Amino acid sequence: MAFPLPRGITPPEISFLAEMEQVTIVPRQRLEGLELLGGPVEPLMPPRRASLPLWLALLLKRQRRANILPPPWLHPESLSLILEIETQHDEYQHAFSPPPPLPGQPGLRDRHKKPVAMPRYTPDGERYFAAPPFVPQNMAQDHVTAGEPPALPFHWLEVGTMLLDAASDDLVDPDQTRRLLKELREVRTSKIRTGVDVLDAAATGGGGVALTGVGAMEVGEGRGFIAGVVDGLRKIGASKEQARREQMAEDMANGGYDATQDDDDMEF
Amino acid sequence: MSYYDIDSILTDAQKLPCTFELEVPGLGILEGNPGENIKAGTRIDLPLWLGEMLSIGARLGTSRLVTLDLPSALSERVMNALKADPRTVDLRALAPHFYSLSERVLELFEEEEMVDVLSNTFKKRAAEIADHAHNPKGALGDGVEFLRGLDETERQLFRVAHDSAKETRIWAGEAKKR
Repeated sequence: MAFPLPRGITPPEISFLAEMEQVTIVPRQRLEGLELLGGPVEPLMPPRRASLPLWLALLLKRQRRANILPPPWLHPESLSLILEIETQHDEYQHAFSPPPPLPGQPGLRDRHKKPVAMPRYTPDGERYFAAPPFVPQNMAQDHVTAGEPPALPFHWLEVGTMLLDAASDDLVDPDQTRRLLKELREVRTSKIRTGVDVLDAAATGGGGVALTGVGAMEVGEGRGFIAGVVDGLRKIGASKEQARREQMAEDMANGGYDATQDDDDMEF
Repeated sequence: MSYYDIDSILTDAQKLPCTFELEVPGLGILEGNPGENIKAGTRIDLPLWLGEMLSIGARLGTSRLVTLDLPSALSERVMNALKADPRTVDLRALAPHFYSLSERVLELFEEEEMVDVLSNTFKKRAAEIADHAHNPKGALGDGVEFLRGLDETERQLFRVAHDSAKETRIWAGEAKKR
């Protein structure tokens, strides 16, 4: 092979990306504000809470200058609730537990509501719609929305593992949390494995497979295998796909394709 | 598939049964008796690249030199076995590049049903491969028999899945590096 590294990004790279997530800390020392590339960090004034990128929070934690407040989902209760959804709920037997809603997206309870996209504004006044990783999914919340089930954010495995490594004394019952994270990971990995059955939808033209709720590390782990399977199925089905396209072109030429006629066909 | 892809070169070298429609002077060397003519109706196994070239007259409308047959790896018997249980068939014994061969053959023959059977086989076996790939012992566990029967495409799939699972385990600190 010409290039020794496999396609896609490696687990250390994924966890590097996860360090961009914002977390909440309680500082123990005063610290002046920092001007970072990702945006300014407010001055730290104990005991006022502050939100920092994870890498900075871990650094301060290692230097014993701050305590990290664990995100609401990284709690034995929330994790066992999510685990229950993943394993017991009929609806999620073959799917992953839903990701946290985006800002403006209705929660799970009232999913019939229409999503209202809420634009945010940059300092220059330009409009944008926030999406992960720029949505705070790992910050401690003061008020938990009533009835809203906990959900795993995109970088759940990385953030969870890193916090367990560096700040296990700040978590509620770290051993239980570690065990639940491991169980969740096993349940979801086996779902990815059984998901091979639906992959032929991705191999045919115009098809696709939803990966809603799959975390970054899981995508990274499954990338090589899933891409290989889809590619193999595509190659085997190539002749059939070719025949289908020819059939479609023939139908189009015969005028049987009236629903989506091009503008060129309309002119005489 | 690139020009230098060793797997596609090896696929090209796999044999395909061909029947000669015309008598060809001086081509007896293919049959093992050099200097002789090759008679019409002779059946010889030719490599895929040669058989494909010789049969191409059929597409141009002129009388063709040879007619192609399905290789034994893709015979009716094998298809029935794959329909019954894809997991127990030793694809490697049939053809080391089973899927690449069938891909090329499907371009030459119109076999709608074979496409379905092969896709299904590939899917079923891929799920099994994923199970074995996540086994930390690698190819030394229980599934040695199954893993020995993988064709080249499936071996690559197994390697990719196994490596990524291992990388993740190393990152999580569950496994030692190397």
